[in-house]
Amino acid sequence: MRLFGQVLDKQLRDVNGQNAGRIDGIVLELRPDAPPRLTYVEVSPITLLARFSRRLARWYARFDQRLGPGRGTPFRIPWHRLTHEHTAFRLDLDIEATAINALEDWLRERVVEHIPGS
Amino acid sequence: MKKILQLALGIVTSVGGFLEIGSIATAAQAGAGFGYQLVWSVVLGTICIAFLVEMSGRCAAVSKHTIPDAMRERFGARFYAVPLIVMLGVSLLVLAAELGGVAAALELATGISIPAWAIPVLLVAWALLWYTNFSVIENGVSLLGLVTIAFAVGAAKLHPNYGSLLHGALPTLPREKPSQYWFVAVSVLGASISPYLYYFYSSGAIEEKWDESYVGMNRAIAALGMGFGGFLSIAVLVLAAILFHPRGIDVKHYQQLPALLTPVFGRAGFWLVVASLGVACLGATLEIALSLAYLVAQGFGWNWGEDLDPSKDARFSLTYTLLLIAAALFALLGADPLKLTQISMALTAASLPVGVLPFLILMNDKEYLGDHVNGWLSNGVVLFVSLMAGVLAIVSIPLELLGGG
Repeated sequence: MRLFGQVLDKQLRDVNGQNAGRIDGIVLELRPDAPPRLTYVEVSPITLLARFSRRLARWYARFDQRLGPGRGTPFRIPWHRLTHEHTAFRLDLDIEATAINALEDWLRERVVEHIPGS
Repeated sequence: MKKILQLALGIVTSVGGFLEIGSIATAAQAGAGFGYQLVWSVVLGTICIAFLVEMSGRCAAVSKHTIPDAMRERFGARFYAVPLIVMLGVSLLVLAAELGGVAAALELATGISIPAWAIPVLLVAWALLWYTNFSVIENGVSLLGLVTIAFAVGAAKLHPNYGSLLHGALPTLPREKPSQYWFVAVSVLGASISPYLYYFYSSGAIEEKWDESYVGMNRAIAALGMGFGGFLSIAVLVLAAILFHPRGIDVKHYQQLPALLTPVFGRAGFWLVVASLGVACLGATLEIALSLAYLVAQGFGWNWGEDLDPSKDARFSLTYTLLLIAAALFALLGADPLKLTQISMALTAASLPVGVLPFLILMNDKEYLGDHVNGWLSNGVVLFVSLMAGVLAIVSIPLELLGGG
């Protein structure tokens, strides 16, 4: 599998078909006498920003920490929990049970739900 | 039967949604400054946007990807950041110009100045996006935009010289004021080939769950909708060429725009221009705000959709909210919508290759399009026009700013 072409930056969907972000990074296990193995994918603005600037990623991580438990570090998903579909990878988890959507939840609770009719 | 209705609605909404402050103002400036000589720039721009809209609909129907979605996936985050940042910057100026256009129409109607209208226009645009769905935006506002057909009726009533008009459809070198000629030509191209139009269209196709059976209908909507839309732009150019050019009147203020129709329709002409400007700019404001929110949300893989409740896509909904607030600041601070339009349309033309070139690569990728990849004609036309617009813009913008003539 071509990791950069076929995994990195692909859309992720959760078990209910909700968009769950994109695969922002991949974690490889380096093995002696064998090719590297893909063990995790990362879904996080921290990983995404680190692809541009590590300093920017560290700065964002400090804000991200305030969004709740499980945030402040990139969210990792074991590779075996993903299945490939036509346009995306499907995750065998409900996104609401993870920390992936913490920013969405934070904005919904702090802003959107205070606007009448939302 | 359902598809025929969809086709008719698609064409009608494309026509109704084609004109906005950019195309009205730049076509009027082209006609006022150069008579029929710049008709070719409207024709080229319309052909190019028709191809781009067709491509974006085909991309969505066949690959089930919107353009931002496919671009991030195909080229990666580091590359995607470039068109994202350029599009956000340039289109925010266009959004500010459109929102200012609605405020300008209200100023014409009431005499109350533009800054006083900034917040009410912001609230109306935001409420339409927040509380209604995609069909209301796409069909409702675009159908109201059919009022812009008044320009075509007005132009026909003035009996233009069709021979000269056809002659103007062929590109010619400027006879006078060369830097202004090329700058106006570039602004017309930028106004016609608005990237938000095809980004909006591809997201709409996904929202309406198009599949491969829509490829033919998509082609018809793009060709006829954009074709008739371009025809309306030419009508504005013709009106300015007949009414302004012989008297040496340049279009420097939006207050001059009602004079395009008052000689034909009298007082009703004034209200037709006000209604056209207000409705067309409101429609464009909604489409640009949504397009930019799509660009961000799809690029990051968030939940998105104008048909979802804002509580289901908070980041998407707050993105268009913030963009509208930023755009309204320009009107609130008294920025002149016409000057903003000129600058933003020329910058749109300058930035065209940044978005169009990766889109063309995508449209030639069999992994996404299968047997529906671009033919030589689509590739050739879009590549030629967007590169030409980009190069002309980069040359003519500094010359115009330096005041050469």
